[in-house]
Amino acid sequence: MRLAFWLYEGTALHGISRVTNSMKGVHTVYHAPQGDDYITATYTMLERTPEFPALSISVVRGRDLAQGVSRLPATLQQVEEHYHPELSVIAPSCSTALLQEDLRQLAAQSGISQEKLMVYAVNPFRVTENEAADGLFTELVRRYASQGAKSSVPSVNLLGFTSLGFHLKANLTSIRRMLMTLGVKVNVVAPWGAGIDDLKRLPEAWLTIAPFREIGQTAAGYLEQEFGVPAEYGTPLGVEPTLRWLRSVIEKLNAVGAGMGAAPIAMPELRDFSLDGQSAPSGVPWFARTADMESFSGKKAFVFGDATTTVAMVKFLRDELGMQVIGAGTYLARHADWVRTELEGYLPGELMVTERFQEVAKFIEDAMPDLVCGTQMERHSCRKLDVPCMVVCPPTHIENHLLGYYPFLGFDGADVIADRVYISCKLGLEKHLIDFFGDAGLEYEEMEPSLGENGAAAPAAAAGAAVPEEGGMQWTDDAETMLKKVPFFVRKKVRKNTENFALENGETEVSVEVFRRAKESLGG
Amino acid sequence: MLQAPGEAMIIKEDNVTHSFCGLASVGWMYQKIKDSFFLILGTHTCAHFLQNALGMMIFAKPRFGIALIEEGDLSKNEPTLDEVLAEIKADHNPSVIFLLSSCTPEVMKVDFKGLADNLSTPETPVLFVPASGLVYNFTQAEDSVLHALVPHCPVAPAGEKSVVFLGSVNDATADDLRAEAEELGIRVGGFLPESRFDRMPAIGPDTILAPIQPYLSRTAVKLERERGAKTLHSLFPFGPDGTRVFWEDLAREFGIEVDLRDREKAAWEKIRRQTDMLKGKKVFLTADTMMELPLGRFLKSAGAEVVECSSAYINKKFLAKELQALEGVRVVEQPNFHRQLEDIKRERPDMVVTSLMTANPFVGHGFIVKWSMEFMLMPIHGWSGVFSLANLFVSPLDRREKLPEFDREVWLEGVMPAAE
Repeated sequence: MRLAFWLYEGTALHGISRVTNSMKGVHTVYHAPQGDDYITATYTMLERTPEFPALSISVVRGRDLAQGVSRLPATLQQVEEHYHPELSVIAPSCSTALLQEDLRQLAAQSGISQEKLMVYAVNPFRVTENEAADGLFTELVRRYASQGAKSSVPSVNLLGFTSLGFHLKANLTSIRRMLMTLGVKVNVVAPWGAGIDDLKRLPEAWLTIAPFREIGQTAAGYLEQEFGVPAEYGTPLGVEPTLRWLRSVIEKLNAVGAGMGAAPIAMPELRDFSLDGQSAPSGVPWFARTADMESFSGKKAFVFGDATTTVAMVKFLRDELGMQVIGAGTYLARHADWVRTELEGYLPGELMVTERFQEVAKFIEDAMPDLVCGTQMERHSCRKLDVPCMVVCPPTHIENHLLGYYPFLGFDGADVIADRVYISCKLGLEKHLIDFFGDAGLEYEEMEPSLGENGAAAPAAAAGAAVPEEGGMQWTDDAETMLKKVPFFVRKKVRKNTENFALENGETEVSVEVFRRAKESLGG
Repeated sequence: MLQAPGEAMIIKEDNVTHSFCGLASVGWMYQKIKDSFFLILGTHTCAHFLQNALGMMIFAKPRFGIALIEEGDLSKNEPTLDEVLAEIKADHNPSVIFLLSSCTPEVMKVDFKGLADNLSTPETPVLFVPASGLVYNFTQAEDSVLHALVPHCPVAPAGEKSVVFLGSVNDATADDLRAEAEELGIRVGGFLPESRFDRMPAIGPDTILAPIQPYLSRTAVKLERERGAKTLHSLFPFGPDGTRVFWEDLAREFGIEVDLRDREKAAWEKIRRQTDMLKGKKVFLTADTMMELPLGRFLKSAGAEVVECSSAYINKKFLAKELQALEGVRVVEQPNFHRQLEDIKRERPDMVVTSLMTANPFVGHGFIVKWSMEFMLMPIHGWSGVFSLANLFVSPLDRREKLPEFDREVWLEGVMPAAE
């Protein structure tokens, strides 16, 4: 038993409802105690759904358990009467899973046709959000996908786009824009916005695009195996990966087309992918070469997130922006091996694999990177440490569900990410000036109450050596005064680095001399 | 349905609804009792609920946490919480730890009472708080917390006549209520709960318990039984009408006759603009926080037409006066949401008071909506709360008037493809 405060992944029920909430005509019925449908609020609040999410609860009360009564049949009848779903997915919660009820039999008592019911009961103590979502989606594809004639024109399925996905609609738009430029039709997007009939039509596509390791690739594999629809698993995040992805998509479509006697698709002019049709499709390659960005080669980045994003972001930061990646990690242990393989040669140390945000926060505190790309939790941890952080993947907060077009995928996405990296980090020339001239008059921005920092009389601060920060080392007054000359926004980092240096050199406190040596060896 | 004389008619349905379980109470209780720690013995679901639905981020060191039941723990006879408790004590040094039950350990038949007793030490008592969704709804676990605190309230000697307000409110509201009571000549014994564990109020045979939240009946009954205290059965102090009756009834318990009709009138006058807007408006309250009855009663007094007032549970004795004041209004206990949705679509109320889970979809259907949870988080008690209370109901009406016409065919396209 461990004490938990906050978790990265949601529950299996959350994963299940993310899929069904994405779909037309599919209803989830939670066989669960009061309150387990709290998940509904995440859709109505974060996605601001203007319609009621198709989620109902078949409430299990303690009294019902004692009396051996189940409300499931009646709830299914009510759902049928009020909403007429084509399919109801019945799922137990963690507590009702322990009851070991025969949900199929209970559901059958509703009198509703078996064809309109599906019991999806995974072990909620073992399976969490992403695995459940991917599992249910695959089940649905298996159940409904049926052989049909290939579309006459080149077409693709876009799988894995799911309710509450990170920048879901913008990413989808970015992919659609590129496909439009190629002259490729979208056969089905699923589960987002798909109905049962759409799932049936999946095999009509020439190619399945499944860019997310977490959701959709298993179903894409099934379509490949069962119906011979080839799949593209690449993630077009960053300019080079997008170019590779485009070439691969074209090649795979042309292979299918060749068998049908279709004219091959050619790679369009790259300007055709730009928003105005007459520019470079992305500003990133030039941006990365500008003098301003020179300082980024010294910037240290740390990435923590789901599997797909962690891999793609590490590569983008190092390969396209030329930053130093000092570490990376994922909370998806299930995909850790894949991440390790993908990031072979990219990381100076081991991949961090943990579900505990405290461990991630500890790493950040010790390493004090110049940029953290993480989840909402890392953003939260970084705020406390004054470390720049950008949110790149779930779990999210309402502030990550914005109205504007901010994709992460495709050429458009590369620009968005580069902009965010740039504005998140302390800037180049400005930083040089401040480093050289001191605080540049910005000291007033400091939030901490200043104890005589500006030379004002402050007897409390003068008495004895400065109090060490929590878990920190003792600093002499002189060293502390010297530290105050460091610009406030890097002061925490300098303090930490200096203390690390002192520790490594067997010092017990930081004196002016230790501080100087640290500056020399660390390149202050 | 059979109806006893003088009792309002309550329609009872099957509780197929959208609301939270008792763990939701942690959201405000841990902030109220500042030297406490709230430990939930629960699962990933409980943790996910607290962090998502309540939007509770982890501040420096949160004073609540989940002792996480993982797969390996299912086969164990009894959960061992010693290490978890040691961690909590080392990090927080709380004066009291509330051990909250949840659904999974209840199904596992964990002996919570025994567990709490075993973990308790004289320095740090561990109090069992039943909160699971198998039994308890949203605000009801506050009742469980207060219930657990009862043995830790000193015994007030006989003859010491004072009022103890029952229900957690913020300190400013508590100060206002205290000042109001003292002005009327009523001796105040304190609040259950106070902001610190070691300052819980003394309660004895001459204590008058004045409930200020409508979901605390079990604690009141326990205090009547165990301490011989007397519960005030009045209106709850919300709105000019409720506040007047509350203070007059409370004063009467102390042998003080006061006539606060002028004060009530002045309070109504102060919110004249708001009541003018509410007059004749049809309002529908779906069940959520269990504050629905007093809120519905205020709306009715303000001239609104309450189409339906639903609540998860209605204790007829505890809420007798509110029920009386609601005579003629459709009052539903454990409502069925599907039925409510159809009624609302047919009856087209001017405002729907509803949960976080259903608010935006009702707006999408063209209704004006108020989040019921806001009433939990705003100071709406007593005379000083009148303005806030009235404004909470009026602000969505005001806002809608300010915004331009909305063509849902145009502006909702693509927002939720699953519903198109």
